[in-house]
Amino acid sequence: MSVVDPIPIEDISHPKIKEIMAVAAEWNVPDQRFFQILAHAPGYAQAVFDAMHLSFAEGNVDHKLKEIMRIQLARQAQAPYFASMRSKKAIEEGLTEDRIAAGYGDFENEDQFSNAEKWALRYTSLMYTEPKKVNGDFYAEGKKYYSEAEIMELGSFIALHYGVQVFFRTLGVGGRVKVKN
Amino acid sequence: MIDDGIDNYGASDNFTEAEKLALRYSELMAEEPEKIDNAFYDELKKVYSTEEIVELGAFIGFNIGYHTFFGTLDFYPMFTPDGDLVSQEESKRIYGDKPTSHIKGLTVREADQAAE
Repeated sequence: MSVVDPIPIEDISHPKIKEIMAVAAEWNVPDQRFFQILAHAPGYAQAVFDAMHLSFAEGNVDHKLKEIMRIQLARQAQAPYFASMRSKKAIEEGLTEDRIAAGYGDFENEDQFSNAEKWALRYTSLMYTEPKKVNGDFYAEGKKYYSEAEIMELGSFIALHYGVQVFFRTLGVGGRVKVKN
Repeated sequence: MIDDGIDNYGASDNFTEAEKLALRYSELMAEEPEKIDNAFYDELKKVYSTEEIVELGAFIGFNIGYHTFFGTLDFYPMFTPDGDLVSQEESKRIYGDKPTSHIKGLTVREADQAAE
């Protein structure tokens, strides 16, 4: 139960928020409940939707990899609500629970991830746990696999989703259950 | 006032109780989010509307996320403490490996400089 009550879907009349709700139902990340809560501040709901959807659904980096990164972040942020939701598109494209679990587990020793994917997962893992390790050398390695535009895409994606997940953690959305990392 | 808001807001006369609560919300979200429980939100609801709480929470979340990300990119403030535009090389020389603008406010920097 959230400390901020979701606005019932039938009470949402703002045209833009209704559009957002339709996209949220289609993608499931973030889901409709997320925007039912943010809709208390409709301007913010629109801005957050634009940023989150753009960073997650568009761009040049594989959506399935971003979904694994997003779930890894949610577990770091101890946000069970976000850790439990799944992108319908990523699942349709073949992302499995085993691969997701490998992505937040010992991914460095997983043969199923390429070096580029491991770098992106390491980027996700280190950003809010050991940011000093995300230094010039780290980015130099990343540039072997990704363009600067893609690195900005990944960094912004990580920053945005982590920040929102921490906020929603505090709201108790999905419960205040500690997620094991 | 910025320094006060970062380092001393709890004891400061510069802020209302509502402002102090917002500053504590920001501080806890970044450092001890587990302390932002239902009781904390009950306090927030006494002085802020639901819309304002969502606004504050989203704003703080964005800043927590992006400040750390941008911190890893190794770039420095565009301006000197006096407000002059400087190159990144010069800014790095002024602010060091860890930008003091992130850990000390202008008045503290000025006091440090005066002491030197």
